[in-house]
Amino acid sequence: MRNRNATAYRFLAPYLLIFSVFWVWPIISSFIISFQATRTVPWRFAPGFNWGRLIGDPAFFNALKNTLLILVIQVPVMIALAMVMAVLLNSPLLKARGLYRFAFFAPVVVGEVAYSAVFRLMFSLDFGIVNKLLNSIGLPKIDWFSNVTPAMALIMIAVTWRWAGYNAIILLAGMQSIPEDVYEAATLDRVSKLKQFFYITLPLLKPVIVFCLVLSIIGTMQLFTEPFLITERGGPGGGTETLGLLLYRQGFRSLNFGYASAVAYTMAALAIAITLAQLWLTREKQ
Amino acid sequence: MATVTLSNVVKRFGAFEVVHGANIDIKDGEFVVFVGPSGCGKSTLLRMIAGLEDISGGEIAIGGKLVNDVEPADRGIAMVFQSYALYPHMSVEQNLSFGLRMTGNPKADTDRRVKRAAEILRISELMDRRPKKLSGGQRQRVAIGRAIVREPQVFLFDEPLSNLDAELRVQMRVEISRLHKELGATMIYVTHDQTEAMTLADRIVVLRAGHIEQIGRPLDLYDDPDNLFVAGFVGSPKMNFIKAQIVGHDARGVVVELAGQEKTRLTQPLTGPAPEPGSKVIVGVRPEHFGNAGEGDTDLIVAIDVVEHLGGTSFLYARTAHGEDVVIQRDAAKVPTTSEVTVSIRKSYLFDENGLRLR
Ligand SMILES: Nc1ncnc2c1ncn2[C@@H]1O[C@H](COP(=O)(O)OP(=O)(O)OP(=O)(O)O)[C@@H](O)[C@H]1O
Ligand SMILES: [Mg+2]
Repeated sequence: MRNRNATAYRFLAPYLLIFSVFWVWPIISSFIISFQATRTVPWRFAPGFNWGRLIGDPAFFNALKNTLLILVIQVPVMIALAMVMAVLLNSPLLKARGLYRFAFFAPVVVGEVAYSAVFRLMFSLDFGIVNKLLNSIGLPKIDWFSNVTPAMALIMIAVTWRWAGYNAIILLAGMQSIPEDVYEAATLDRVSKLKQFFYITLPLLKPVIVFCLVLSIIGTMQLFTEPFLITERGGPGGGTETLGLLLYRQGFRSLNFGYASAVAYTMAALAIAITLAQLWLTREKQ
Repeated sequence: MATVTLSNVVKRFGAFEVVHGANIDIKDGEFVVFVGPSGCGKSTLLRMIAGLEDISGGEIAIGGKLVNDVEPADRGIAMVFQSYALYPHMSVEQNLSFGLRMTGNPKADTDRRVKRAAEILRISELMDRRPKKLSGGQRQRVAIGRAIVREPQVFLFDEPLSNLDAELRVQMRVEISRLHKELGATMIYVTHDQTEAMTLADRIVVLRAGHIEQIGRPLDLYDDPDNLFVAGFVGSPKMNFIKAQIVGHDARGVVVELAGQEKTRLTQPLTGPAPEPGSKVIVGVRPEHFGNAGEGDTDLIVAIDVVEHLGGTSFLYARTAHGEDVVIQRDAAKVPTTSEVTVSIRKSYLFDENGLRLR
């Protein structure tokens, strides 16, 4: 028995080696680095240096505020939208279902840089299609990139566009696993379609919804691409800077690895805390 | 309580017709079983009565009222699904009361109905459990309870016992019979199990490939089948079919000779027109209608392959001289020990080449 285990581990060794070097070690190492002052040569152990700075750093709190704001607005809106999309996709009336499924999934596959560039064009002040549309229905143009509120809205719109379809596909799979005859029984019980949705579909879909929420929360906590590429490194003036961007700025622009590691651990801790709180709130009550 | 009438009911899925003009008259309070092999359209017929499936042609009336365009919930029916279709996230109590709660039925009345259904089905102790924590038989009871709570005029059952083991199936069969007596409602029950059909039904509708083959009381179907299909479908072990040929007439009826056995002739009285001599026919003999040599019209020598002892009776699996398989029922005490035995045919049925009964 022991022999067989040893053989198995020998086969796994290449993977375990790579996993340890590029996965486990960075996690441990960055934890250690977060307790070091990395602006001096050589680095020295100074526990209060980064963590002390963190709790008093307005840039950190700005990034935290932006991240959480996006989290509490964008994630629920996106999941709700994904739910509507899934219901429509699931409708027996829908033709060309495969096409829609592909279309909804496509944003995830499109390159991030390409998609960001297109969003910048679409929302550009003078020749973007969005402002043209606003104009054509009598609304004033919006300068999406120079004001904080529109810039935040733009980030949320972009993230929602990119991930709503993905979540819709997951929700759709969940919906299709609910047996048809349960709905037929409800129909015979004179339960309206709307009530069927709220009293049958939603409760049965809860585990899937929670799964989508957890994925989205973790994703948003690490949000980087959109504020980096679309609103140009968290602009205007740090108005859309997220924790992910702050980490990047500290670590790779200022080469302050200790502080960046502290930010990274804060992000991970927050994601875990929020996810656990959410799992606890939506747990199965018996 | 209500009658259910189907007139020329047709069902097509696209261009594919699966029910070809069904006419069935179900009386108030009657227990009718639709029976037939898999894919013959039993469920489709039931679902059309329930309103879960559109009717492509013909008319369905419940309680004398045309329901073709009536919503399923307004037809006064309740349905028990083969898969139970319980709401998995609700307790038994919630499963039973869900429909009534959603439609704003007064709470006191809902409670009364749920309590009564629970008592009838003896599931009062299970009220707080989720379906996942119930056995198959208990789930089935809850599914029936959900139908009872609606206080329908007509109960529809779609193979409700097919997911249960053999013993439980017998037990639930008895309970459903009891329920029918207790509630007095009209019940339509779908199954492919002829034993279930025989034991439960006031009347049986035998279906094959979307056609109604025969409608009648269980014993009428057994004693007086209209055609080869019904004769073979009703009864277990099934009726033996032996190829034969008309060879003439005598004072008592037509004379038939079993294929390949010149000496084995039997005479069958017919009231209708008799086929020409030389016509091919099929002789049907139920296993219990074989007698000892000399007891019947004609004697037949068969070679015994296997004997199955069931206790009181035994079944002999045998072959005729012409190589046709037959099953013969015997009292356990009278099982022959030889490998060949002479039996007589005490009663037989005659079918023409198209499988229609010659009477
Ligand atoms: N939604 C559908 N679309 C197309 N064909 C269907 C549909 N539902 C049923 N059929 C066809 O109609 C025929 C009758 O089906 P039905 O389910 O009524 O059979 P059944 O007698 O209930 O069989 P079983 O004993 O297996 O349940 C079958 O040939 C089936 O393939
Ligand atoms: Mg069926």
